[in-house]
Amino acid sequence: MITEVNGVSLEVKAAPAPAAGTEVDLAFVDRTIARLGRAPDTVIPVLQAIQEHFGYLPQEALQHVCRSTDITPAAITGVSSFYDMFRHQPVGKYIVRVCRGTACHVTGAERVEDALRRRLRIPAGDDTDPDREFTVEPVACLGCCTLAPVVKIDETTFGHTTAEKVPGIIQDFLARMAAGDEAPTSTETIHRPRNGRTEIHVGLGSCCMAKGSDRLFHALQEGARQTGTDVVVKRVGCVGMCHRTPLVEVATAGKRSAFYAGLTPAHARALVQRHFRPRGFFGHVSRLWTRALDSVLTDQQVDDQVQDCALDVREPGVLAFLGKQIHIATEHFGRLDPLSLDEYLAHDGFTALRQCLGAPDPQAIVGAIEQSGLRGRGGAGFPTGRKWRVVRQQTDDTKYVICNGDEGDPGAFMDRMILESFPFRVIEGMAIAAVAIGAHEGIFYIRHEYPLAVRRVRAALAELEKRGWLGERLLEAAYPLRLTVKEGAGAFVCGEETALIESLEGRRGMPRLRPPFPAESGLWAKPTLINNVETLAMVPWIVRHGPERFATLGTATSKGTKVFALAGQIRRGGLIEIPMGTTVREIVEDIGGGVKEGRRFKAVQIGGPSGGCVPARLADTPVDYESLREVGAIMGSGGLVVLDDSACMVDIARYFLQFTQDQSCGKCTFCRIGTKRMLDILDRLCAGKGQKQDLAALEQLAAQVSQGSLCGLGKTAPNPVLTTLRYYRHEYEAHLQGRCPAGKCSALIQYRITADCTGCTLCAQHCPVDAIPMVPYQRHAINLDLCTRCDSCRQVCPHHAVQVS
Amino acid sequence: MSFTLTIDGRPVQATEGESLLQVARRLGLDIPTLCYLEKCGPLNTCLVCLVKTDGRMVPSCGTPARPGMIVESETEEVHAARRTALELLFSDHVGDCLSPCHRLCPLGLNIPVMLRQIEAQQTQAAILTVRQALPLAGVLGRLCHHPCEQGCRRGNWDGPAAIRDLERFVTDRDREQPQPSLPPQQPPSGRSLVIVGAGPTGLAAAHALARAGHAVTLLDRHAQLGGTLRGVPESDLPAVVLEAELALLPRLGIALQPGVELGRHVTLPELAERFDAVLLTVGEVAPADAPTLGVPLAGANLKTDPNTCQTPVPKTFAAGAAVKPVKQLVRAMSEGRAAAECVDRSLRGQPVCRPEKPFSSVMGRLDPAELRQFLLATSSASRVSPCDRCAGFSPPEATCEAARCLHCDCRSSGNCVLQHYAQVYGADANRFRADRRPFEQHLQPGGVIFEPGKCIRCGICVKLTELAAEPLGLTFVGRGFDVQLAAPMNRAIAEGLQKVAEECVQQCPTGALAFADPSASRA
Repeated sequence: MITEVNGVSLEVKAAPAPAAGTEVDLAFVDRTIARLGRAPDTVIPVLQAIQEHFGYLPQEALQHVCRSTDITPAAITGVSSFYDMFRHQPVGKYIVRVCRGTACHVTGAERVEDALRRRLRIPAGDDTDPDREFTVEPVACLGCCTLAPVVKIDETTFGHTTAEKVPGIIQDFLARMAAGDEAPTSTETIHRPRNGRTEIHVGLGSCCMAKGSDRLFHALQEGARQTGTDVVVKRVGCVGMCHRTPLVEVATAGKRSAFYAGLTPAHARALVQRHFRPRGFFGHVSRLWTRALDSVLTDQQVDDQVQDCALDVREPGVLAFLGKQIHIATEHFGRLDPLSLDEYLAHDGFTALRQCLGAPDPQAIVGAIEQSGLRGRGGAGFPTGRKWRVVRQQTDDTKYVICNGDEGDPGAFMDRMILESFPFRVIEGMAIAAVAIGAHEGIFYIRHEYPLAVRRVRAALAELEKRGWLGERLLEAAYPLRLTVKEGAGAFVCGEETALIESLEGRRGMPRLRPPFPAESGLWAKPTLINNVETLAMVPWIVRHGPERFATLGTATSKGTKVFALAGQIRRGGLIEIPMGTTVREIVEDIGGGVKEGRRFKAVQIGGPSGGCVPARLADTPVDYESLREVGAIMGSGGLVVLDDSACMVDIARYFLQFTQDQSCGKCTFCRIGTKRMLDILDRLCAGKGQKQDLAALEQLAAQVSQGSLCGLGKTAPNPVLTTLRYYRHEYEAHLQGRCPAGKCSALIQYRITADCTGCTLCAQHCPVDAIPMVPYQRHAINLDLCTRCDSCRQVCPHHAVQVS
Repeated sequence: MSFTLTIDGRPVQATEGESLLQVARRLGLDIPTLCYLEKCGPLNTCLVCLVKTDGRMVPSCGTPARPGMIVESETEEVHAARRTALELLFSDHVGDCLSPCHRLCPLGLNIPVMLRQIEAQQTQAAILTVRQALPLAGVLGRLCHHPCEQGCRRGNWDGPAAIRDLERFVTDRDREQPQPSLPPQQPPSGRSLVIVGAGPTGLAAAHALARAGHAVTLLDRHAQLGGTLRGVPESDLPAVVLEAELALLPRLGIALQPGVELGRHVTLPELAERFDAVLLTVGEVAPADAPTLGVPLAGANLKTDPNTCQTPVPKTFAAGAAVKPVKQLVRAMSEGRAAAECVDRSLRGQPVCRPEKPFSSVMGRLDPAELRQFLLATSSASRVSPCDRCAGFSPPEATCEAARCLHCDCRSSGNCVLQHYAQVYGADANRFRADRRPFEQHLQPGGVIFEPGKCIRCGICVKLTELAAEPLGLTFVGRGFDVQLAAPMNRAIAEGLQKVAEECVQQCPTGALAFADPSASRA
């Protein structure tokens, strides 16, 4: 089921079981322990199970775990208070998750959050309303950056929200709950496709689903069934064109595909009818009959609407978006059913692994990866082959390979998309790595905020095990390999490899000092190879096509392609894979289509909280590890947020520092206190309370935090501050004088109604705090003492009479 | 297996498995550490032990020594990084090392210790505490304008502790003894000096220099020593009190020469000839007398370098009203003591400078809720007035009044690693001044006191409870800036410290964990 409310698509799923009452069901805890074991390292999975069951961690349940397992009280308290997902208090009936990712931040998430809290009457300092109906919970990033700002109520995602739409969203959500909306069929239980000549492909990545593609998928299936046409409605992974979701492709062998963007389930049958002839006589009659019915019940508009959604692939925008891309990690994007092993096999799947298993010396695989010049796609860009070689050289019998899927950067969602769309490819890359280094055990560490990715990787592993291709044997070879999935529990720092290991061992995710590197002493002190999702996804292609071919792509030191999540204040956001060395300008202007009408391209934030801002005047910087570092940014994991002239760079710096400061593990002095003191200064600046010496103090402290911190998080946390100071010092200076040139920092701006006001009273009606007295047919005025700078009045004014100064 | 590496240009042997810290300490380098305890292994939390190698700052406690490493330790850059780490820790350190009264005393009397000694009726110990800091303590006990009491935290509640009256109580008891007490003295230095002028400044300087082991000669042009103190009415300062205090001077080895006037009986060059140093504390200089002193003037005063108390004449120092008008008695004495410090350093061949104020973290004003935390462990009686004003406090009155002290000085002051290295590194506790967290103090059953604001999250106690397999133990709670030390499952800290309370208190690098017992004798 899907409906559009205020232009917001809704997707509703059943709410989780309401939090248990006073009686805590300890039998559940016993069952959980029996299932997961009593060892100290099971603490995180056990807590996750309890949290999922009760909605929070009841004290009695925790005490029961202490009594019945080898998990210590210190571990329970330490671990459960470290990770974001755990709660010690019962939550409201519904959880409202407000995304605080970069793209959401620059598109006004803060105002949406304020509006939600006001609308739900949540007292300051609390997160749940007095009736315990709704709990508002900010999350670092939901990874649907192209739909920013995003709000998720239970399992229902709302994209492109504004403060204005908040009452409608809540109302609609409650109406749905009251109506007892049935849960839609899961898209994971999919019918085996028949051998149809024609297929309808529906993108079913998380972003697409947030825009209602799963309901569209079911509606199309239903439409196909009803009309009796010989068509296969197929789930495919991310198409990349997130700005046009949900995207549907009608693919017929030997014919040019037809694309549709922005369809809704109401269009489903019309679409099917446009393209397909029914099978046989009865189907034909049935079609005529439904058509007749349709003409009674609906009007001709539906068909016209479908026509409007048609997308011409020769349209310059589409060509530009797709034209510069080369797909390696995202090979066969938009074509493969993520969970169809047969399809993966039909597209050269597992030939690379087979090749490696047949090789006389696994050393050769390491050599090939080295030769390809592949570097870690997780951020730091360490040569992958060299890492593999070090682990291979270790003499221990036990070695581990870990796939780092703890993608936590706000503004980045490449790894989620790859895991969701190409689980078999990542598994293949992981298996090749395991064979190359001699590991027989591997772990996917995926953040729990990516439930679909977790489900699909688990399902893909189960499928392989079912065929006997994983476990005791690997494909046909006598190579035992056990792969499992572990979910993160909500801590950005666990993307740091030593913190990730701590977390896997059941501890607070606090990084260790390196050396020793995990390659020598990692998980359980054994040699451990940790690679990022995207890195592993590149491996099968490299093996199949040879390292030389990979090395022809890219620049002298950065080979191959890189996947970016393109979002922010840009026309065509989405997921792109481009050769290294493509310039920032090509990405923003050609692929992304530039910033919105009437705006000026200001900068690109690359690398998220560890990266920096590349100003528009340096847009010809090629995207490779060294060039980005030179201008003060880093490659990072590939979040690329475009900023236009409405972005305040001091605010951006503060935003990222707030993020890292919040995500700091708190272990070392420089990061724990240093980032906080830097944030103090930025808070002062944004509040117009900066002091003359602040900029120098900020610069000095930034350098020392970067120098002294223990791990990568702290060492790179000052980057967003340092680059904005470098390129936008004048904006900092303006804040010192109490001005925010972009009109963003709410303490430094004022709203004013100009003489263009016609007295329509719209602003007064929409003001959430009654700061505008309603005076029909007269010029309105804003009471600045009451005004919260929520921007509602400016958005609703039809005469552009509300100005910000 | 042994190999060589270089620290600050010095080659040093190391063996496999040794950390840079261990190697550097063998070289005699004092690399500061707060979180390192051999038993616990490197915890890598405080990051104060940074050294630089291969272009990067690394914590020396956790970095293994490798052959051929080139390490920098005692360089300005490394020191700056260590200093910043200390300063960051102080920016989130809720507590005063020294109590406000102690900090405000120009002579640096450790008032809370004195009060606890009085409370515990350890009068002799209290006498020594007072005598160590105050010259002419009996006089100050009557005449001091007591800036200490203005700073007393109890002043915002029900009136400050009666510190000066208690000082008087202590010295009165001392005077009743057949032989009043002397503060400890350094062994003779073999150097001699002369002080001209036996007013408060000169007397204080003589007192300090005699205690430092120098041979002091004290001249005064009057027949009686004491300068302006001689003009104080008997009702405020009975002559018997002053005489008793002056009688201590010869016992400290000070040669008294009253009735000798500079410029008349003796000249400055003659004094400079006979002594290793000359200190002029002649009081206000009358214009007519100025030329006879032999020191150039700046305006109406003797010309001196304010940082060193040195006059342009070699070996000659000056202090007190002769240099700058001083109103209060205790300030005049602290000037004398500062000059004494300069003279002492000069006699020992050290660079001459005035003493620095002792380092202290400063909490600032407390709100009433915070003050109440202190009051929980203290006498709730209001300020005691002596029944007989002339006789001063009776012993029970003194005990009662001393018990009102809030103990707002840190229990670990003097024993605190953070404080120690802050002093060594010249850290500025206010460099990153920010809104502070509320002050908290949790008195635990069993006598441990936990002050969360002083915890630097070093992790030593957490590790110690882990090593000792404490049934409950301690853990960190939360993440990032809000990480707190706590016992698991919302239990009390003491419950987590059943086996290792003593060890944890002892190893706590700050005053976060301490024994509540003021134990005056320990101080």
